[in-house]
Amino acid sequence: MSLVHLNSSRFEEVIYHDGAPCLVIFSRKSCHVCQSVVPVLEDLQPKFDGKFGFYYVDVEEDKALYQKFSLKGVPQILFFKDGDYQGKLTGKVEEEDIEERITDVLNSES
Amino acid sequence: MGNAYDLIIIGGGPAGLSAGIYGGRAKLKTLIIDKGTVGGLVNTTREIVNYPGYRQISGSDLMLDFKKHAESFGVEFLRDQVINTDFYQEEKVVKTKKGKDFSAKAVIIACGSEPRLLNIPGEKRLQGNGVAYCATCDAEFFEGEDVVVIGSGDQAIEEGIYITKFAKKVTVIVLHDEGILDCNKVSAERALQNEKMEFIWNSTVEEVLGEENVEGVKIKNLKTGSSSELACQGVFFFVGMIPSTQFLSDSGVEMDQRGYIPVNDLMETNLEGVYAVGDNRIKYLRQVVSAAGDGASAAVAAERYIEELNSFKTNVLLSDKNVLLLFFNALNNESLQFSTLLEEVNNELTENYKVVKIDIATKKNFAQKYGIKKVPSVVLVNKGMEIKRLICSMDKENLKTQL
Repeated sequence: MSLVHLNSSRFEEVIYHDGAPCLVIFSRKSCHVCQSVVPVLEDLQPKFDGKFGFYYVDVEEDKALYQKFSLKGVPQILFFKDGDYQGKLTGKVEEEDIEERITDVLNSES
Repeated sequence: MGNAYDLIIIGGGPAGLSAGIYGGRAKLKTLIIDKGTVGGLVNTTREIVNYPGYRQISGSDLMLDFKKHAESFGVEFLRDQVINTDFYQEEKVVKTKKGKDFSAKAVIIACGSEPRLLNIPGEKRLQGNGVAYCATCDAEFFEGEDVVVIGSGDQAIEEGIYITKFAKKVTVIVLHDEGILDCNKVSAERALQNEKMEFIWNSTVEEVLGEENVEGVKIKNLKTGSSSELACQGVFFFVGMIPSTQFLSDSGVEMDQRGYIPVNDLMETNLEGVYAVGDNRIKYLRQVVSAAGDGASAAVAAERYIEELNSFKTNVLLSDKNVLLLFFNALNNESLQFSTLLEEVNNELTENYKVVKIDIATKKNFAQKYGIKKVPSVVLVNKGMEIKRLICSMDKENLKTQL
């Protein structure tokens, strides 16, 4: 199942207005590491269906978004809960690391 | 078994996709396994201007064409990662990260290469926070900032030039004496004339500095041994590539110290029915065009290997009669004459054998299997098991008594 794409305005709504726990991968088509991390997220997504959101931002389409988080590269997976930034994972990450972080975010006090 | 294929290709870059095109066209049931989106490292190439037939195309668009081409011949694709293999059997087995097993008569390894890490302090910790390996992916994040590039090969210099489109300044750290770059001349001239590029010669980087983000690098001068610090927000490492063959460490596939796989002209590895193509093999030129050529060679070699395997199975292993395996060479007259004699003698027997002729010039595998060194040679087999070897006499009576 492919990830839901967010543009700037949808990002505002989903992250800050809805505030549900979620992750957002900042990625681009021409990045081969991104292309191997995105499938990992797509596979993980059903496991957390209804509990944790999975979103995708294309940095070529939305410069403002990566500038806002002063990102220095792709892929980066940013975690959010109740509209608060919960940290990130960068570069080539393994499924287990992502899963662990999701569980941490879900279990964290807010 | 739904997971049984004729040909499995590990890796979907230009070499793997080309092998797929040839395999699919030869009507082999072919599967390409790739852990990401097919195309491999070529996807990061912004512009390809030397692939025949395409004056200018982006790497990812070219790979999309390769993929569509392979699909048009019925090649199947799977997004998964091969983590283990068993190549010792005639049916090769690959196991994937998602826990699936696939088998094939032949396997082509086309898993490419990945950037080499320098393994200096700060490099790993600051990955994605200023440490980068791909300009196409990350150059844009350093708009108006200071960037350091490590290396002076084609990739380092060409990517460095690209980064100047965004960065305020690009400082290239070069191992060699002043004026010496490892890259091609055209790029060297362009770089040396680029006002935004500076060079630090005879030097290497020994540490990446910074807490949350890259704040600088520690540079060591190899001539004087002295160290200095240079402030920057980004460091791009272009210090060569390493083959992505770690998953083959227990496979029995022979590799050199660095993990590259040696092959012959047919792209055969040391293991029967296992081939290696593209960037993960030892080779002179690592380009899309040469990768494609590798893929074609391997797929054709694999096709012939599979065909021989199948015909050997039907004609020899499953034969009810005992079989005389006659090893000959079309270029060797004596072996041809002997072949005629053997047929003649066999026809005169009351209970005759099935004669299967094997040209050792093209079917080396079987010659090897039975340890055949010279032609003519004859091995009498039952269901493939050796019963005895004949003395290849041109004397008809002598031959007859041996049968």
